[in-house]
Amino acid sequence: MDVLANVAQGFGVALQPVNIIYCFIGVFIGTLVGVLPGIGPVSAMSLLLPVTLSGTPESGIIMMAGIYYGSMYGGSTTSILVNIPGEAASVVTCIDGHQMAKQGRAGPALGISALGSFAAGTFALVALMLIAPTLAALAVRFGPAEYFSLMVLGLVVLTFLTQGSMAKALFMACIGVVLGLIGLDSITAQPRLTFGRLELIDGIGLVPVVMGLFGVAEVLSNIEQVIKRDVLTTKITQLLPNKEDWKASAGPISRGTILGFFLGILPGGGAVVASFAAYALEKRISKTPERFGHGAIEGVAGPEAANNAAAGGAFIPLMTLGIPPNVVMALLLGAFVIHGLQPGPLMITQNPQLFWGIIASMYIGNVMLLILNLPLIGMWVQLLKLPYNVLFPMILLFTIIGVYCSSNNVFDVYVMIAFGVIGYVMRKFGYEPAPLVLAFVLGPMLENNLRKALILSQGDLTTFILPLNLRWISASCLVLALLLLIVPLLPSLRKKRELVALDEGA
Amino acid sequence: MSDAGKAGLRLNNSELWGGLVGLVLGALVIWAGIKFNLGTVNDPGSGFVLFYVGILMCLFAASITFAAMTEGGPTFGSLWKGTRWRKTLVVIASLLVFARAFDDLGFLLTTIPLLLFLLRAIDPVRWTVAIPLAVLAPLGSWWVLKRLLLIQLPSGIFNIG
Repeated sequence: MDVLANVAQGFGVALQPVNIIYCFIGVFIGTLVGVLPGIGPVSAMSLLLPVTLSGTPESGIIMMAGIYYGSMYGGSTTSILVNIPGEAASVVTCIDGHQMAKQGRAGPALGISALGSFAAGTFALVALMLIAPTLAALAVRFGPAEYFSLMVLGLVVLTFLTQGSMAKALFMACIGVVLGLIGLDSITAQPRLTFGRLELIDGIGLVPVVMGLFGVAEVLSNIEQVIKRDVLTTKITQLLPNKEDWKASAGPISRGTILGFFLGILPGGGAVVASFAAYALEKRISKTPERFGHGAIEGVAGPEAANNAAAGGAFIPLMTLGIPPNVVMALLLGAFVIHGLQPGPLMITQNPQLFWGIIASMYIGNVMLLILNLPLIGMWVQLLKLPYNVLFPMILLFTIIGVYCSSNNVFDVYVMIAFGVIGYVMRKFGYEPAPLVLAFVLGPMLENNLRKALILSQGDLTTFILPLNLRWISASCLVLALLLLIVPLLPSLRKKRELVALDEGA
Repeated sequence: MSDAGKAGLRLNNSELWGGLVGLVLGALVIWAGIKFNLGTVNDPGSGFVLFYVGILMCLFAASITFAAMTEGGPTFGSLWKGTRWRKTLVVIASLLVFARAFDDLGFLLTTIPLLLFLLRAIDPVRWTVAIPLAVLAPLGSWWVLKRLLLIQLPSGIFNIG
């Protein structure tokens, strides 16, 4: 009954007119950035982070969350119609989705993608609602050692799943930690790496770093190439899948939902890993695996359900532990912090209207997305024809405006340009920005918890590994992280890692 | 990457330079860690984490350097081969000029020329589209930010906007 009362309270918040408007703006922009290749949810959320300042915390977070799960819906449209993933989690949808479109079945592919996403999104919300309070109650007993080890695991998993060299990804994570430590030391109040600049006393802002690395760098990387898109010109008819399609897709949607949800909870994981895993699972258990890659509807239904369920699952570590499992959630954490809120085990009891309001808004957002993505599909197809030579200057303009408005200081615009150039060069040299951003956000927390754990244990390093009280969690995380660090050294396992490697930031 | 664009233990091996720059950065972080006071294991100082992160950076950078020496890596030229890198440089330069002039000239007097320049410099948009867009987008943004959201924007020495 408690849950029902809480959900009712949540709907009371989410159904306020202003929150409905913010939710709509969020899912609309989410679908938009999902549809447009080259701009992912990370860029869009970093662009809009300063906008959240103008409203209540609930409104801001509702909009940011909407962008994330909205982009999961929109990404499939571009994958199916253009064979270019709108965002990273839809990469796998290209394989069978575009083949279906070429066979004149774009409608059912888009339809099953939207309906599967809706079913998965709804399941993820119910699961989030039931699991989060229980996990939060357990997380209250976590000490600094558990938090430190969980964050280490999150960073290692993300570096493990990042494309290319793991040494480079780990190096980027280290850079992220160092950048996160710029400013006053939270324990001794000593300024670190500020180079005498007053602007750096509070550290580098998340907004200019992320906008630089994902917004400006993305544009700089794109403008040096001539981008051509081959949008499917045939008219899209019959969006609703037929009986046969439903029969073939019911299993993949169910399996993708459950798999995606649990992969979404894992630190470092997320929607991208979930979609790849769901595709691999469906292909493996299929009686006719040879159909995959040639327009099998299961290859669209499973991954699309998985990436939406994962988007819901990813809220669990952030809401219950205060630890963002991926870059998108790190940005959401930034939005919480901007409003003076700290997500974690106490948030559900101290700010129930916020927690349940966000969850309820996600129900509403899912319904909005279904409407936006089925009857209005024609509008998104038209948007795919928007020329890039207009789009890129506009993105640059809005990144500048967004960064300036977040601090009213031109210094942050310089920081953004610097990170834009650094991000562009990093991509050229094969260094991914996602581990840097996650480590940048986790860095101060990581340091704080490490130092607290050492002070409390009087320098006893076994505090991280001895299986006392909840220390088994800490020990397990560290052992798992160590295993993941060893895996790339073994040639046979290295190949498997390369198969699941992802581009989280796209 | 084709083998033609790869270099082993040569000066134009981009991977090698990436690793070496990483080693220097790692060494600087270690130095900063020592400078900010390492402390002890039971009372870690402000430089404790920096110091150990610096060591990790050096280890990872050494691994990157070693891989570059044994497996080779793309040459600098191959990274930018066939790209329109001049356009990237022009955009970066225009953004820097914009940032430098932003406080002095104000929001409107800098964003309108910047947008017009970008619309014409990246892949030239027709003047008939570029000019209205370059005027209306910053003007619209200025109105929303300054009038609707009451956000302070610089009006510059000419006090425009």
